[in-house]
Amino acid sequence: MIITNNDLVYSKLKDDYNILYIDGSFRDVLVKTRDKVHAGYELLTHPLSSSLKPNETPYKSVIISDKKGKLNFNSVYIIEDAIIEYDKFNMNIIKKISEKIRKDFKLIDLTVLESALNINY
Amino acid sequence: MKLELGYIFIKDIQFAEQSKVENGTLYVNKEDVKALILEDQNFKSADVELARPGESIRIIPVKDVIEPRVKVEGPGGIFPGMISKVETVGSGKTNVLKGAAVVTTGKIVGFQEGIIDMKGPGAEYTPFSKLNNLVLKCEPIDGLKQHEHEKALRFAGYKVAEYLGNLAKSLTPDEVHTFETPSLTEGLKLYPDLPRVAYVLMLQSQGLMHDTYVYGVDAKKSLTTMIYPTEIMDGAIVSGNCVSACDKNTTYHHLNNPVIQDLFEQHGKTLNFVCVIISNENVYLADKERSSNWSAKLAELLGVDGVIVSEEGFGNPDTDLIMNCKKIESKGIKTVLITDEYAGRDGTSQSLADADAKANAVVSGGNANEVIELPPMDKVIGHPEVVDTIAGGFDGSLHDDGSITAELQVITGATNEMGFNRLSAR
Repeated sequence: MIITNNDLVYSKLKDDYNILYIDGSFRDVLVKTRDKVHAGYELLTHPLSSSLKPNETPYKSVIISDKKGKLNFNSVYIIEDAIIEYDKFNMNIIKKISEKIRKDFKLIDLTVLESALNINY
Repeated sequence: MKLELGYIFIKDIQFAEQSKVENGTLYVNKEDVKALILEDQNFKSADVELARPGESIRIIPVKDVIEPRVKVEGPGGIFPGMISKVETVGSGKTNVLKGAAVVTTGKIVGFQEGIIDMKGPGAEYTPFSKLNNLVLKCEPIDGLKQHEHEKALRFAGYKVAEYLGNLAKSLTPDEVHTFETPSLTEGLKLYPDLPRVAYVLMLQSQGLMHDTYVYGVDAKKSLTTMIYPTEIMDGAIVSGNCVSACDKNTTYHHLNNPVIQDLFEQHGKTLNFVCVIISNENVYLADKERSSNWSAKLAELLGVDGVIVSEEGFGNPDTDLIMNCKKIESKGIKTVLITDEYAGRDGTSQSLADADAKANAVVSGGNANEVIELPPMDKVIGHPEVVDTIAGGFDGSLHDDGSITAELQVITGATNEMGFNRLSAR
């Protein structure tokens, strides 16, 4: 299951994947992911980006398991740390960003997700 | 495997009728270089500019920095799998235009990265302010997709670096440095009493603008593997990573990897430098587990006593770094990690997104969140208006007089995680 607030991911992948679309922030995606992890779903991709800081990009897509099982402590540890890390970045300096830049951030989030899903363009 | 690197020291760069190297000056025919770039039909125009140490010039946004090199003897060519055939490089002789570089700039996506100041306080943070730079400014045709633009710009850099490198093919180097890696069994016989050390080089591999290539292969599609350090000196690893200026490893960093240089310096004296293990930084957690399992397995198989691990980027690669550390340490092998920090503007927050008690020997490249002031420069090459939108910049970063207030992460190479920089923390 893909949890995302990126409408580009939703529109492009919704026919092939199980997607939970969040009409909210990057942090909302992390919190929803944490709730799912607490319910027994396993985290499959790392919830932090590799270079884009949480106060730069507004978009995030995370993959979790389709089925829930026992609580996965590794997943709990990673998602909780990601939320702490997210909150560390100073949110009051978040940039006003243009529509063009929003599109680019959506594209980067999509391509990073596709690299995890092994989709080549 | 043995490689001789011949350094031809470049002290100046100038435009001229004929491209050549003479008395330490690199002369460049501008039109030839432009024509070379425009061979790629993805570009509608190209411009080439010079930036020398001490000049009041700001280059922004920087994509990659590449050192011109040329194979003089031995198999293969520079940047195998990219612009040369896939032949094993790393042996014979290679000439280097030491002190010169090709810098690529361009707006691939709306948020942009990377400042090189050639003068002033900003110049102190980047090693590239000390080089005689040929700066390429290439404009893509309308409607070119971002990943095609990124690739075209990357290849323009390699081609121009190759063109300049070829000028050094028949020159006699000012200095020659020899690097040799014996086979495992020879190494054991040569240095039976010295500790055996390997280097785990982590490569960014996450998708568009976050990729690294090994002999032309996207590192995300490779299992952790081994490589001779001299192969890297011949351009076996190149950067396609355009994001996060301060802690990306440019192609220049790979060619001049300081960990490899220092391990060779100590090779046969205080340690036995066995080889380089290259590992990726993928998005999928299962990939991270698999790649770090293989790092640990290879380190064990090689029978090393110690491993140095260097990272690229911040955030989810911190997890790869810590996985590598934990798993290698659990084999009874000591690790030293090289990273940088996002410790908040005052430096008091936790530095990494992941941690473990086994990571008890860590070298820091500096705090990327520190706020710095950059005075205006007389000339800007590239797109100055992007300052507000680069990583580490924010609304109001660019002031009316051209000065900049931003976090250190805006500067290319400032907190490099191979240690190729001037910052540290003790």
